[in-house]
Amino acid sequence: MHQLCDMEPRVMDDDMLKLAVGEQGPRDEAGQLAKQEGILFKDVLSLQLDFQNILRIDNLWQFENLRKLQLDNNTIEKIEGLEKLTRLVWLDLSFNNIETIEGLDTLVNLEDLSLFNNRIAKIDSLDALVKLQVLSLGNNRIGNLMKIIYLRRFKDLRTLSLAGNPIAAAEDYRMFICAYLPDLVYLDFRRIDDHTKELAEVKHQYSTDELKHQENLMQARLEDEQARREELEEHKAAFVENLNGSFLFDSMYAEDVEGSKLASLPGVAELMETYKDKFVIICLNIFEYGLKQQEKRKAELDTFNERVQEAVQENQAQGRHRTAEFEEKHLLSLSTIRGESELTDIETKIADQREDIAELSNALMTLEMQLVEQLEETINMFERNIVDLVELFIENVQSLMAQCRDLENHHHEKLLEIAINILEKIVKGELDEDLPDDVRALFVDKDTIVNAVGASHDMHLLKIDNREDELVTRVNSWCTHLVDKIHKDEMTRNRRRVKEINQYGDHVQGELDSLECGDILD
Amino acid sequence: MEVLKEKVEEEEAAEREDAAERAERGEKMMRLMEVRKEETTMTQEMLRDLERKLSEIEVSIPEKPSTFTKDTIDISKLPLSYKSNTPKEEHLLQVADNFSRQYSLLCPDRVPLFLHPLNECEVPKFVSTTIRPTLMPYPELYNWDTCAQFVSDFLAMLPLPDPLKPPSYLYSSTTVLKHQKGNCFDFSTLLCSMLIGAGYDAYCVNGYGSQDLCHMDLTREVCPLTVKPKETVQEEEKAPPKKYAIKPPRDLSSRFEQEQEMKRQEEIKAAEEKRWRQEEERLMEVDSAKTDPLHGLRVHSWVLVLSGKREVPESFFIDPFTARSYSTQDDNFLGIESLWNHKNYWINMQDCWNCCKDLIFDLGDPVMWEYLLLGTDKPLLSPAEEEDNGANDDDDVENLGKEDEDKSFDMPNSWVEQIEISPEGTKTLEIKEWYQNREDMLELKHINKTTGLNIDYFKPGHPQALRVHSYTSMQPEMDRVMEFYEKARVDGLIKREETPKTMTEYYQGRPDFLSYRHINFGPRVKKLVLNSAESNPRPVVKIIERFFRNPAKPADEDVAERVFLILDERIQLRYHCREDHITASKREFLRRTEVDSKGNKIIMTPDMCISFEVEPMEHTKKLLYQYEAMMKLKNEEKLSRHQAWESELEVLEILKLREEEEEAHVLTTSIYDTKRNEKSKEYREAMERVMHEEHLRQVEAQLDYLAPFLAQLPPGEKLTRWQAVRLKDECLSDFKQRLINKANLIQARFEKETQELQKQQQWYQENQVTLTPEDEDLYLSYCSQAMFRIRILEQRLNRHKELAPLKYLALEEKLYKDPRLVELLKVFV
Repeated sequence: MHQLCDMEPRVMDDDMLKLAVGEQGPRDEAGQLAKQEGILFKDVLSLQLDFQNILRIDNLWQFENLRKLQLDNNTIEKIEGLEKLTRLVWLDLSFNNIETIEGLDTLVNLEDLSLFNNRIAKIDSLDALVKLQVLSLGNNRIGNLMKIIYLRRFKDLRTLSLAGNPIAAAEDYRMFICAYLPDLVYLDFRRIDDHTKELAEVKHQYSTDELKHQENLMQARLEDEQARREELEEHKAAFVENLNGSFLFDSMYAEDVEGSKLASLPGVAELMETYKDKFVIICLNIFEYGLKQQEKRKAELDTFNERVQEAVQENQAQGRHRTAEFEEKHLLSLSTIRGESELTDIETKIADQREDIAELSNALMTLEMQLVEQLEETINMFERNIVDLVELFIENVQSLMAQCRDLENHHHEKLLEIAINILEKIVKGELDEDLPDDVRALFVDKDTIVNAVGASHDMHLLKIDNREDELVTRVNSWCTHLVDKIHKDEMTRNRRRVKEINQYGDHVQGELDSLECGDILD
Repeated sequence: MEVLKEKVEEEEAAEREDAAERAERGEKMMRLMEVRKEETTMTQEMLRDLERKLSEIEVSIPEKPSTFTKDTIDISKLPLSYKSNTPKEEHLLQVADNFSRQYSLLCPDRVPLFLHPLNECEVPKFVSTTIRPTLMPYPELYNWDTCAQFVSDFLAMLPLPDPLKPPSYLYSSTTVLKHQKGNCFDFSTLLCSMLIGAGYDAYCVNGYGSQDLCHMDLTREVCPLTVKPKETVQEEEKAPPKKYAIKPPRDLSSRFEQEQEMKRQEEIKAAEEKRWRQEEERLMEVDSAKTDPLHGLRVHSWVLVLSGKREVPESFFIDPFTARSYSTQDDNFLGIESLWNHKNYWINMQDCWNCCKDLIFDLGDPVMWEYLLLGTDKPLLSPAEEEDNGANDDDDVENLGKEDEDKSFDMPNSWVEQIEISPEGTKTLEIKEWYQNREDMLELKHINKTTGLNIDYFKPGHPQALRVHSYTSMQPEMDRVMEFYEKARVDGLIKREETPKTMTEYYQGRPDFLSYRHINFGPRVKKLVLNSAESNPRPVVKIIERFFRNPAKPADEDVAERVFLILDERIQLRYHCREDHITASKREFLRRTEVDSKGNKIIMTPDMCISFEVEPMEHTKKLLYQYEAMMKLKNEEKLSRHQAWESELEVLEILKLREEEEEAHVLTTSIYDTKRNEKSKEYREAMERVMHEEHLRQVEAQLDYLAPFLAQLPPGEKLTRWQAVRLKDECLSDFKQRLINKANLIQARFEKETQELQKQQQWYQENQVTLTPEDEDLYLSYCSQAMFRIRILEQRLNRHKELAPLKYLALEEKLYKDPRLVELLKVFV
């Protein structure tokens, strides 16, 4: 320890990493090869950097595939620079000067984490490590036993060490942990026997039960929310979200100041009631229709995908068959060419083989072109159908929305009538009921009240229009996206296949060429 | 002469018919014939010459021994009935002769009857007695078609010595069967015997047949092999074209060319048809030109099966030569002279001008059929008559005696020995043996004698999980297939096929996804030490291993097939094909160990690994990667070779095990088999013993302690209270006495032992000085034994003292509860 303190803190630079990689790489013959070729950092699976007096973790971003990293016995003060090492399974940071747990949010594959002998006071920021099995936090400064409850979320955690912390001095320490972490098998490097487990369970049963109950509640709530979210997502996919109730109606009146004022007029409440009922019914119609249409579209898409998949599979099977046949023949002729001694014979054979290769790639290409043509036709057909479906949907939704608008107009007229009646009554002074002041303020003259009612009406219409526009634009964009995607997918598929065929042809040709060269050399 | 004339007339008639037929065939054919005739530019001389030649040839064809001569038949071994006639038979022959004389007198224009030809011993035998109805013990020979087929297949056909006359000899069926040849009469006699035996109403027919029939000539029949069963064209139900199903690729072939091709095909077809038709016409012509001069005169014998028995709906003929059945209207049968079965003989009195088409086979009608023996068998009566008979039942009864009188003669039993067809000479082709309750779980053994292939089938539970074992020899390294219950095996082996040079194994459900391993062996290297042959495995030349797709690995890293060419030091890898690709990655390693110019060993060079990758990756190009892969493969090669060796060992082991099992024949006994299962038997017996003991104890417990006291009382009387009390008291006092006696007995023994011991001790004290060591030992052992006895007695006494009052109380209690006393003793309780 003393010696370490004396040493100059070192930086994790390229040289250091290279040295470590070289030292820890393969041995013997393989090592020779490795030296010859050099090892890329991204191929390294395990790295050991202990007793290097490192102060700061750095320069590790290249080790993308690293599984095991040992940084123990350094002077690291902060966990950092590990973001890129997402494949890491084993991380050892023991015997450092770390004060808080941090910077581990991307290491989702981590199973074994050692933070032994640091200065950590609080267990947190481990949420991302869902696969954690072994956690070593001994010789730290953790003082709050209740914080252990945090570790309950790690379902795979089996080994925990907390010895050497202030909490370990508590008399109830072991029992407490056993009770609250019942899946734990090893605590402080000792197996927890069943007897202890039972005792602990009995002792802390009351509090753990409550905890469990709370957790269950939380879980249920989360699940509920999840289900709701999924449902909403489904409705959104059908473009009719929030139409299965009075949401649209409520939103119409949400920002409508005049409307709410007018609603308090006598007679308007009943009117509103019937209006709302009718409106909601239409909304529900739209909603149901939307879901139905969504199903139809989905079925259409599914059948299309299925057929295309079938066609592609069949084509692939043919292609595979062809290649397999060719391969067999090719291998045979290659071996005969190898065995041949006469130069002219070799040449003719090679020429034959060349022809065969050309034939194969032609045949494969023909198959591919055939498929492209067939698929194009099918895709076009699908495009037509889906566009038709979408248009039909829009049309019907629009007609339903028009009904909404009619309702609104009707309501507006009625409302206006009532308002004018009331105005007349007010003018005549026959009004019996008391009106709130702000409402009465509207009944100054005819213009004001007409304007007020009109403004409310306009607002409502605007809401309806907005909803309709949103639906139409979204469904249209979905449709274009879908079609684009299908076209693009088909294109990439085609490109890939063509590339594959060419590559294979080149390879086979190359084999033949190398044979020729070899023969000539011989 | 009359007969001859008739024959000639018949001939003429036949010719006329033919001519008429020819006339009917239409002008076109005639013209063709004429054209033909015109075409022949041969002279009359040449024609005659040709005719002569042809006739010569024709004669020379069927020149076989017309009948098997007598010297080929060993008559000495034939039974007596063959060599002589019984008086009854003699009588029958006389009757027949008499009948024949009358017949020739009454019908002078008809050929003499075929009644009693000579048999193989030159003894005349009546034809009906030559029929020996026999039911064959083979189920295959129960129906007429199979019988006929057997006769036709089993016997070789001989033509009649004189085609115009019935033979003068008719041998017994036993002789015919022995020699496996015969003429049509032999054939039909045998067939008739078999059919009558099988319950058919069958008759031998002596008549006239066409030339083809008599010569067993089937050239003009349609070959049965060419007659194809009408193909039932089952149109596959085409699934309705689904939406978005891709259209088939456009047909780019020229329609015009297709049409031309079709036309050409049609032309060829038409030409062929024409040719064929011409050929046919030519054949017909030849046929018609070759009319048989002896048409209608050729004697033939066949079998008639009448309807009625064995559910034969309609009478029909069977030609015994060809085993074909014909309707009675068939053109090939030109006339019937007579027919007979084992009971009677009938002569056809109907005119056969129109072949057999107008014949009525109502043998009960004496106008149509003249019978030889009266009423030996109820002849076939027409239904009307039968009804009459039914109606006049009473008359029948009355007439019974009369009829019996009329029955002047009865057909004697057949002189022919029982016809036997032994399966001798037939070969056993297959043997199937079923087993049960074998410990080696063998279920079925299938032995194919022709191929020498044995197939053993096993039930689940063989120690090596064997399911099927097919082999030709139990020697190792031969052709064999072993199938296994793969679920019962750790290595998931399904099947192992072996040939002398290879071994192929099929696997399933392995964690390493191995599905197939094929091993080629080279010739065994001869070792100097001969006795180590077993430990000298054949060298492995090549191993091919195939793997199922491992879903956990990407296709490019998942090996589908690897080939170890061990002699070439070459390893070939083929990877699985990616989902959306048509080519698979390949890699080939050459393991050459070379040394570079400086003498350093070359570890790895780029040309030692030839690889094709569907999607080239960075890291696989590295030599290090390739080197590591190769090292791994080397190890795996070693493992695979080891596996091969282990497989061989396992085969040896299984073979050894099988041999042992075959020798031992251990049977298993089901746990439910109570008789054979020793263990369960023992257990059961033990249980029974326990039960028995239990029972005895119960009986003892129920021992009636009151019986001796009750016996003292007068029987059959009801107990009085006083008696009951007395009974109880007596019983108790008796028991008390017993207890006391017992205590006394124990006490007495105890005292006796003690005294004895004291005596001995005294004796010892007195003689202690003079005692030998043996005596001392004796004394000591006696002491210890006596002490032991005394102690035991003491214990028993104590126990008795303890228990006696309890026992006494228990008895008292019991007595109070005794059903006989309970009523009377109640008061005292």
